Amino acid sequence: MILIQRLLTCCFFAALALPVHAVPFQDEGGDAKKDEKQDDKKDDKKDDDKKPEDRWFAVVGGDVYTGTGAVLRGATVLSKNGKIEKIDFDVYMPPETKTLDATGYRVYPGLVAISSQGLLGNSGGDFEDTIDPFNSRMILGLATGITTTGSGSSAVKLKRFSVDDMVINDKIFSIFSWSNRSPRGKYDLREKFKNTSEYLRQYREWEKKVKDQKDLAEPSKKNVDGSCLSVLKGETTAKFVNNDADELLGIARLAQEFGFRPVIEGAQEAWTVADELGRAGARVILTPRDRRPKSELQAREGGTSIENAAILHRAGIPIAIVPSTEGVDLGGIAGRDIIHLPIEVGFAVRGGLPEQAALESITITPARIMGVSHRVGTLEVGKDCDLIVTDGDVLHYKSFVQYAVVDGKQVYDKERELFYAQIRPRPVAAEAKKVDKGETAPVKVDPAADAEKKDGEKKDDEGKDEEKKDDEKKDG
Amino acid sequence: MVIRNTSRTLVGAFALALVVPCSTARASDTSFPTPTPPAAPTATLIAGEKGAPGLAIKTRKVLTVPLEGTQYFDNAVVLVKDGKITAVGPAASTPIPAGFETIDAGEQWIMPGMIDLHSHVGGTFDINEMVYLTNPGLRVSTSVIPHNDTLKVAIASGVTSILFIPGSGVNVGGQGVLIKTGHDKYEDALIRNPGSMKLAQAGNPEGWTIGVGRSFMNWNTRAMFSRGMLYAQKWEAFEKGKGPKPERNFDLDIFRELHAKRTQISTHTQIFQVVMTTLTMVRQQFGIDVYIDHGEMAGYKLAGFAKELGVNAIIGPRNVEVPTRGFINWTGSNPEGILGIAAEYQKRGMKMIGFNTDAPVIPAEELFLQAGMAIRHGFDATNLESVRGLTIVPAVTAGIADRVGSIEVGKDADFVIMSGDPADPRTAVQKVFIDGKRVYDTAKDKRLF
Repeated sequence: MILIQRLLTCCFFAALALPVHAVPFQDEGGDAKKDEKQDDKKDDKKDDDKKPEDRWFAVVGGDVYTGTGAVLRGATVLSKNGKIEKIDFDVYMPPETKTLDATGYRVYPGLVAISSQGLLGNSGGDFEDTIDPFNSRMILGLATGITTTGSGSSAVKLKRFSVDDMVINDKIFSIFSWSNRSPRGKYDLREKFKNTSEYLRQYREWEKKVKDQKDLAEPSKKNVDGSCLSVLKGETTAKFVNNDADELLGIARLAQEFGFRPVIEGAQEAWTVADELGRAGARVILTPRDRRPKSELQAREGGTSIENAAILHRAGIPIAIVPSTEGVDLGGIAGRDIIHLPIEVGFAVRGGLPEQAALESITITPARIMGVSHRVGTLEVGKDCDLIVTDGDVLHYKSFVQYAVVDGKQVYDKERELFYAQIRPRPVAAEAKKVDKGETAPVKVDPAADAEKKDGEKKDDEGKDEEKKDDEKKDG
Repeated sequence: MVIRNTSRTLVGAFALALVVPCSTARASDTSFPTPTPPAAPTATLIAGEKGAPGLAIKTRKVLTVPLEGTQYFDNAVVLVKDGKITAVGPAASTPIPAGFETIDAGEQWIMPGMIDLHSHVGGTFDINEMVYLTNPGLRVSTSVIPHNDTLKVAIASGVTSILFIPGSGVNVGGQGVLIKTGHDKYEDALIRNPGSMKLAQAGNPEGWTIGVGRSFMNWNTRAMFSRGMLYAQKWEAFEKGKGPKPERNFDLDIFRELHAKRTQISTHTQIFQVVMTTLTMVRQQFGIDVYIDHGEMAGYKLAGFAKELGVNAIIGPRNVEVPTRGFINWTGSNPEGILGIAAEYQKRGMKMIGFNTDAPVIPAEELFLQAGMAIRHGFDATNLESVRGLTIVPAVTAGIADRVGSIEVGKDADFVIMSGDPADPRTAVQKVFIDGKRVYDTAKDKRLF
């Protein structure tokens, strides 16, 4: 099954890439086409054998913060087979719809961490082979509200209990180095872009002429750099990790000269060159709490600023935010790691970033940077039903994620997991617990949980049990 | 080995006694005359400062947080004259005297300046002497760099006072000093020296030289305290005319302060057994004023006992206890869920709960977030316990509540004007006053935090 999924994923991307490089990479394209045909046949067979029923899921009664700026109070989010079908009031739901009551809570799109470490429980290699969809850090990620994360050059969904279709883009970045410490490196990179863009120009000319002159030789790929080529063709995004204003200016010039939009991670001094970066169409991944003094060798402004995000936002630069620790810190100091992503965003607001831009910095902006905004990042009809239900403003330090939903499936419930259940428990669950202890109390079970059990979500329950056992082992 | 170590300590004490004369002059800041500083250049006086006209600040909400009584006023006025608070109350009942300059802070909130009782960023970093296992005579006051760059950022988040203490590499690292963050001269910045005696009972001293265990550390600390308290008692007897004049031992002089309850022991104590020793040995056996100054891990299990003994808990830098087989499992505790340490102390009846950063472990400017993280993890702040834990609780704990920790008449005018809830990272600090002096003002200065 995993193998098929992988093939499918490969095909999906190969197919996406096809129109762009149909001719120059004929071999690759051909293979992909064959695979696709085979897989299609398999799929058809499956469909003939057994027609899966539509899977309906709805979150009802919550204040829906769609992430686009629109807020629908007390609305319903209805999903069909994991995709959002409708967001509205008084929605007709098929009788078999599983519902999650979010009355009194807020509903947000699942958060998108542009990068993180450890949430997937993998250590290199193909995700489907190495990922651990039962690992406790994934629970902590979902507890934070993260439903999609960047990992290396891929965008991956935190699909608990399953590795199917979890990678939604596996070819995001081409990473380049641009350092003041290596003028030669900068020269080389510029040369690569120059040669590659020259090749691309010649190739496009050849592409037009070859229709008439069939013998015309294809331009030479000598000196063409693969990474530069994919960036200039728009297949991947150029990513730099830089902080110095001088280097940022260099990247801005390079990007403008060769016509690509760079993503810059770090960007500590970006606030001093915000206009230049804005003109170059740069996108920035930053940490508001980064701290670096100004170089003693420069008279002009420099170093970090708490206002970095706000200044860049005013210059029209999309911002994605990552915390100072990209992994899960279980050392006892809470507030600085990936499971406190919204806290980090709070510091950007402190520096003047508007709240809506702050929310976007951990939802739609990182989704756009990773090229997955058609699937995740906001609550919109047709997108994946990845959402979180919180007991308050998602950016407030006191708010907890009560439920997390990925692909129209509830994958996290605060009351049912080890980590935060004991903190401000939901009233309903508190009563249910009383009953568990054998005390006489009115039986009032969470309707959502009840519905889930009835529908025999065995897969999920099994997963939970296993996870619990695992944790018990750890405790022992 | 025991003998060798003890003799080392003794030799150390002797060596210290030899070198003491040069450092004594700086030691007790009151008992020795200090040279008159050169006259400051005459500058235009700014309202609120010493010798200047008074300052009145009108604002939406003032969190006064005295130890007892009304915790806040809405639509309030704060009056400042000569660096002290002269009045605070609702605007309707607090007339602004003639000649006072008025600032209208609009919808902002005002809270007392925050106090961090566990900080290592008050000066240079040579504050973790590890030659001997107990060093009651060492002072970090000689390392203070007033208003240094780190403190400037701390001010920008509203931290106005810190207890600058030695590191925890050995059992007794030396004497801390209580300073304000925003004055350029040590004399102005000083609140009290010695600010505390730093005791570290577990977690770090184990790495001292060839390694020591907890039994030896407890034995050795107890031995040092016995000598010290005996020395203090002899001096007390002499001062009351009941005994001969003891020979001066500069290494043990701190115990005279401790015995007279003019200073406290701030202790790096964290896990159950070690907090137990803090309570039974330092508090019960020696009767010394002590507070938990590195409150972490399973120490909260003793919150009820600590409260009984009047030992306050200053929580941090760790703010949660995590279920993990990871590195903190040596604490002997592995809870079922992520527990907020402050919340667990509170659950067991502890009222006096404060917060620290152990800066630079947590940056000095993120003291407020310790309160935020406590609330996130279950700490009940309905009655402003979070604000109290940043202000009046540490002030009372360190015995400096007569000067700082709340906005009350007669106290130092140390306060912060901010855009809202102090525990929220989204809240922006606008202005910070220390002794009536505007040490940070976003209207004029670059935003530092």
